[in-house]
Amino acid sequence: MDQNVIKVENLVKYFDGRCVLDGIDLKVPRGCIYGLLGRNGSGKTTIIRILLGLEPPTRGQTFLLDADSTELSARLHSRIGYVAEGHNLIQSYRVGRLIKLCKDLSLQWNDEFFNHLIETFRLPADRKVKELSIGMRAQLNLALAMAIDPELLIFDDPTLGLDTVARRQFLELAIELIQQQGRTILFCSHILGDVERIADKIGILAAGKLVVDCPLEELKERVKKLRVIFPESAPANLHLTEIINQQNQGREMVITVANWNKQKQTALETFKPSSCTEIPMSLEDIFIECTKPNPKPIKS
Amino acid sequence: MFALIKREIQDHIVYFIGAAVFAVFFIIMSISILHNYNPRHGPPVFAILIGVPAVTIVIFGIGAMGATQMYLDKTRKISALLSTLATSRNRILLARIIAGILAILTLLVPLTIAAVILMRFFTILIPIPMFPGMVFEISVVVFLMAFACYCIGLQTGWNSNPVTPSLGALFLTCIFVPLILIKGFGVHIVVILVLFIIASLLRTWHTFMKTSL
Repeated sequence: MDQNVIKVENLVKYFDGRCVLDGIDLKVPRGCIYGLLGRNGSGKTTIIRILLGLEPPTRGQTFLLDADSTELSARLHSRIGYVAEGHNLIQSYRVGRLIKLCKDLSLQWNDEFFNHLIETFRLPADRKVKELSIGMRAQLNLALAMAIDPELLIFDDPTLGLDTVARRQFLELAIELIQQQGRTILFCSHILGDVERIADKIGILAAGKLVVDCPLEELKERVKKLRVIFPESAPANLHLTEIINQQNQGREMVITVANWNKQKQTALETFKPSSCTEIPMSLEDIFIECTKPNPKPIKS
Repeated sequence: MFALIKREIQDHIVYFIGAAVFAVFFIIMSISILHNYNPRHGPPVFAILIGVPAVTIVIFGIGAMGATQMYLDKTRKISALLSTLATSRNRILLARIIAGILAILTLLVPLTIAAVILMRFFTILIPIPMFPGMVFEISVVVFLMAFACYCIGLQTGWNSNPVTPSLGALFLTCIFVPLILIKGFGVHIVVILVLFIIASLLRTWHTFMKTSL
């Protein structure tokens, strides 16, 4: 059995002649929490929809739990929990009816855990789904995805529309799930603080390509933002490769470099800077730098 | 599978109620006509005046059911949710078609039973020649015609351009009406209908399986 729960091989997707995904390769090992990031329209949801067999790929292949996404069986679907962007639920149904339908269509259902979630979220069973607030819909979707005790959880911006308390509840629940061995989570979100808190590995999509694909700690090690002060005016060109961003102001230069290593440090030292200090970067800072035009690939 | 069929029936219960109401209406109308029928007064014109529009409504109703099932699925993204649960697109479509067949049978089964009983009671009054298995043969053809309309409805509801299936329905009507009038309800019409239904279902299945949900 393959240790990679999710595999994407040379995935290409065109929408009306526009290339959204351009040769994506991605692997998510068992037990990993993978945070997939990207700006609006970068193709995060498209990857997830192709993985789940909701969208056909233009080229390439995707696999979930060792099965081709285009041929996912009902049994395999029963091992996957999915929280869709915009919480794709049947709006005209009452909550109770939707729960019953999902329960009837599942091969396993953890009643105890589900009821605990429903009570925690205080979801009313007699109201129509369309009458619920966005936050409540997100909670309902989350509870339905969790109730089947899934081996693989796919969250497409699950905290969108949730208030701070509900978001915190969701993250704590996700952390609780992480502690259960062997569970894999693919997590897309615009709230980078959330991703930073729970993800082991990060992927960043930009211009149709996966420009970052490495563990979070490694990413923070490899992307460096430096404030360099030179004795005279800062040189226009440092002859360093993979500079993501460079700003010169008199003697001062602020550069962001991808794949920072000893060779690059030595190359910088040949310019004899007066001082060189590292500016700490959050995931949000790294994300902003990596999604600028002409991104540099950072892969482990 | 049962849960999917149940969902389809509950969501489109109005068509099942309509089918049952029409079945009762046709039975009451037949009893009433046969009860008051006098062969010396010629053919029952009243029955034709009521019957033809009623049959037209039924045929359109069955087509509308297929179209509604697919259209609501598309607009409300029902299959997009269902296919992420422990089921598959094949099962979703199969459950939908079974629900459609059940709606047709809700109309036809009581009518067939009523027709058999009424023919036993009013044999002398019926102005057309009878032969063994006639009710069964007519019922099969009527069922297939209703199912063919349902299949056209399925395609119309899913397509963004409903003109092609509508033209197909018109073409089919132009072939079937003269065929039934000239040759009656026979094997030839069953063969044509079965071929049409297979082609139509294959097209619907192919579209449903390949499209984005």
